[in-house]
Amino acid sequence: MPSPVPPGPADDIEDRDPGLARERTDLAWTRTAIAFAALGAAMLRTNAVAGALVMVAGAAVWGLGQLSARDARAAGRRYRLDQRRTVQIITATTTLVSVVALVLVLLAPARGSR
Amino acid sequence: MAGDPSRPAAHPVAGNGKPAQPPSPAGRSHDSDGTGEGGTEPDARFTFANERTFLAWHRTALALIVAGLAIVQFLPPFPGIPFGRHLLAVPLIVLGGVLSVASYLEWTRHQRALRRGEPVGVSVLPRVLAIAITLLAVAAAVLSVLAPASGN
Repeated sequence: MPSPVPPGPADDIEDRDPGLARERTDLAWTRTAIAFAALGAAMLRTNAVAGALVMVAGAAVWGLGQLSARDARAAGRRYRLDQRRTVQIITATTTLVSVVALVLVLLAPARGSR
Repeated sequence: MAGDPSRPAAHPVAGNGKPAQPPSPAGRSHDSDGTGEGGTEPDARFTFANERTFLAWHRTALALIVAGLAIVQFLPPFPGIPFGRHLLAVPLIVLGGVLSVASYLEWTRHQRALRRGEPVGVSVLPRVLAIAITLLAVAAAVLSVLAPASGN
């Protein structure tokens, strides 16, 4: 390098391979799906149906992440899938899960009659 | 356009410093995030980062919800304190639901700022989370002290 170039975005590895950001996002999707599945597994003990549904939601979240990543890859690492829709689906799912959990907790006995 | 490629531009485009990659491919929507906010297409990396932040908040929300569930399911009741477990579990789960919606609003706000090249600003969510967890920790400590040691 003959000219003194100060360290900047040109030295950022992301500039050479912006796909790393996509990959990190892909992994974040996987972690989120695992979190859903774990919550569903924890719910199984109280309500098997609700737990199974949340676990299915975890699988759906994983699929959504794959879809999102594949679309991003197909578009040359640019977003094409309507990201707002994806984000809205996840928000609705988590809010719904919190409502279900709230109902399950409120149905639990206050004193623990055994 | 940023004149100096060595400086981080306020609003860089994808493939900064890489002429082989066109910053705005022709025929592609300039509203790929679906926000309808106008502005210019943000760097894909920033869009990805915003999405990861959103997902991280949702994992936090899910962790709070699962903690609330676990308190009621796996913890024996505090003897002598009816609804003692509910006192901890309900706020945890409600906070999870609130964080879920709030992080969506934050995602929208961040995406709009990115499109307009404005500063993203500071989120209030970390403060809300810190205060809530502190209060719940205090409540849990008080419950543990108040409950008789005998248990069941």
